Amino acid sequence: MIRSRAWHALFICWGLLLPSTVLAQTQTRLVIEAALDRQVVAPLLEAFTQAHPDIELDYRDRSTIEVDRQAQRAPAPDVVISSAMPWQMARVNDGLAQPLESKQARNWPAWAKWRDEVFGFTFEPIVTVYRLELARHMLPPTTHAALYRLLMTQKKRLHGRVTTYSPTRSGVGYTLFQQDARYSPRFWDMVAAMGSADVELEDSTQDMLEGLSEGKYWIGYNLLGSYAMRWAQTHPELIVQVPQDYALVMMRMAFIHRDASHPAAAKAFLNFLLGSEGQRILAGRTPLFSILADVVGPYTAQRLRDQVGERLYPIPLDASLLAFVDAQRRDAFIARWNREIRILDP
Amino acid sequence: MITIHGTLKFRLALWLLVTVSGLGIFLLIEAYTSAHRAADRAFDSQLEAAGLTIAEAIQWQDGQPVVEIPAAAFQILATNQQERVFYAVIDATGQEVTGNLKSSVRPTWRREAKQHPVWLSIPYDDVAIRLHGRELDSAGWESQEPVQIWVGHTLSGRQALANQLFERSLTRFLLMVLLASLLMMLAIKTALRPIRRLRHLLRRREADDISPLNAQVPAELYDLAETLNSLFARQREGRDALLRLTADASHQLKTPLAGLQNTSELALQSDNPEQWYQALQRVHESAARTSRLANQLLSLARLRHASAQMLERLDLKTTLRDCVMEWAERDIAQHHDLGLAPLPASPVTIKAEPWAIREMIGNLIDNALRHTPQGSEITLGLECGIDEVTLFIEDNGPGVSEAMLDRLHHPFERAGRQDTLGSGLGLAIVDSIVRRHEGSLRVQRSSTSGLYVGIHLPLTYPSPT
Repeated sequence: MIRSRAWHALFICWGLLLPSTVLAQTQTRLVIEAALDRQVVAPLLEAFTQAHPDIELDYRDRSTIEVDRQAQRAPAPDVVISSAMPWQMARVNDGLAQPLESKQARNWPAWAKWRDEVFGFTFEPIVTVYRLELARHMLPPTTHAALYRLLMTQKKRLHGRVTTYSPTRSGVGYTLFQQDARYSPRFWDMVAAMGSADVELEDSTQDMLEGLSEGKYWIGYNLLGSYAMRWAQTHPELIVQVPQDYALVMMRMAFIHRDASHPAAAKAFLNFLLGSEGQRILAGRTPLFSILADVVGPYTAQRLRDQVGERLYPIPLDASLLAFVDAQRRDAFIARWNREIRILDP
Repeated sequence: MITIHGTLKFRLALWLLVTVSGLGIFLLIEAYTSAHRAADRAFDSQLEAAGLTIAEAIQWQDGQPVVEIPAAAFQILATNQQERVFYAVIDATGQEVTGNLKSSVRPTWRREAKQHPVWLSIPYDDVAIRLHGRELDSAGWESQEPVQIWVGHTLSGRQALANQLFERSLTRFLLMVLLASLLMMLAIKTALRPIRRLRHLLRRREADDISPLNAQVPAELYDLAETLNSLFARQREGRDALLRLTADASHQLKTPLAGLQNTSELALQSDNPEQWYQALQRVHESAARTSRLANQLLSLARLRHASAQMLERLDLKTTLRDCVMEWAERDIAQHHDLGLAPLPASPVTIKAEPWAIREMIGNLIDNALRHTPQGSEITLGLECGIDEVTLFIEDNGPGVSEAMLDRLHHPFERAGRQDTLGSGLGLAIVDSIVRRHEGSLRVQRSSTSGLYVGIHLPLTYPSPT
């Protein structure tokens, strides 16, 4: 079942890549710069193309840093989607977004939008992933504190088998660590512990998942739950653990570019994304989780809350995000990271 | 002729409306500016708080200011209106240590911020923003150079708050206007009620009802009611005078007519032609007297009820001399010494109706001739004052008692004597003519214990032409 769906998604992607001459002449070419796996979001794109046959999607799947660069460059894309929340917020604050005035935008929860210009449209828990092998040797960690204890007590066994995001090379990783550090000063103990376990820093969740499946890593910290859960469905050797003390929740943020060449099509896309149909597809056919309370499906924020309790802490979508992109604060954070990660070195 | 269109109610309402609108516009302008001031104050204090929060986070490290921007500062800056936020931390050399203002803080603003905290409303990236800058003296191990903190945000929150405040004032004002107009309508109605009642009172009156108004009215209407009352009083007097005159005239005419009847009856019973002749003679004399009486009544009625004719310039000296000459030649004056006192050398000009003046002089002479014994001296003359002339006539006859002097000019008053040939109308006619010419009449004893009648008339100087 999963396999066929993936195949189906691949087929759709191939269809999207067809030269535009094959399709109708009157089509509008909507450029979407997105830090969101095309495979993951394919059902949504397919449904949108069906609902709007006159709009041709030019979906460019890139890294968060590249998406941010493209958003500031001419020609401007129509829609910008990224998981690097502080950078998305900074671009909106720079005035690069245009407001969306629609029923869908008005109905969107206030905590998941800013100025009616940028919208957090997914609800992705941040998870810890470990191999089944780990469970044979030790009690798998269910909380941050447990993970820290494990790192301190099982140094030998875990040496070189721990992975997490690189705060310098990944915007998402940096954001998650900043948020972790905001919640608890003991986060730095964890960094020191990971440093002493010779942690491997990766650029993306995908890289971490592949390393875990290959057996290179036993445990991965701060992975995107959406990708991990989807991966785990086909990789039974991996266990996805939503931390039980607190779980960060990340939102993908989308905005229409101020200089969009096809603002009408861009609005149609965002309205579809935020509308009940788009959210139903997100909840039913992607692991991205819909934040709307009235949407039903396996992947909804409500269902996640039912499963893991009320310990979900969405990264607040507000002006405080801007502090994370402040150059000095970033430098100071990286400096401390580099200090802490070596602090337990002999 | 007063021409005022529309109703008093409308005029009052219009003026009140103009006043209220004028005041209202002023109030609304005031409300608008104060709403903006209040919104600015509220949001400026948030800018200040954000600036202070950032200032708190500034530290010195290796001779450089280092700031770990507190996330809360941005939340304060953004406010609950989700403003776009701008900030910059600038060192003593003008270098931006951190921030997103892209070096758009001008040197002049920085110099000003050295003196005191600065507030600016400026355009930035096509939007209007409010910028606040303050300088911070912070101590460090190597350096003590001042650092400037600039924070700003867009204005939608201020606009929204100002609009909300202004809308509230506007609503209050409109409500007040509505209430005020209702009350005003009520007040106008109440205030104008006396006028309506007065109108009803006047409308209900019978055509010949000239009794005074029985109305207690407000001060503004008091004069009107008083004027109406005095008008009614004058009408009443006029009517009374007319009735009295008519009654007296009938009475006066009745006596000679009765005499005529008696004489003619007696003559008819006799067959002596001698008696017929005597009777006819008496009838003739009586008819002449009656005719004169009727003439006098007629001129009195004419004087009292005819409207004023065109007045013309008249030399009183000439008129007086002509009249006296004319009367001196008449039969009736043959037994009296009728004469003129020395007259002024220059002409005496008055504005008058010539026939009335001649009638007046004639009546004065006639009166004097009839009421003095034969051989009496009658003298007429003129005395010129500064702006009035006195025409007088005096005799050395028996005169009248003091008590009668004031009543002599009333019709049918014969100084208590019913025996003389006069009708009693002479001085009444004179009095009427004098009044017509805005003069006055004075009756007194003469120096020779006879009667003195003086008539004061206003002088008109001949036009300079």
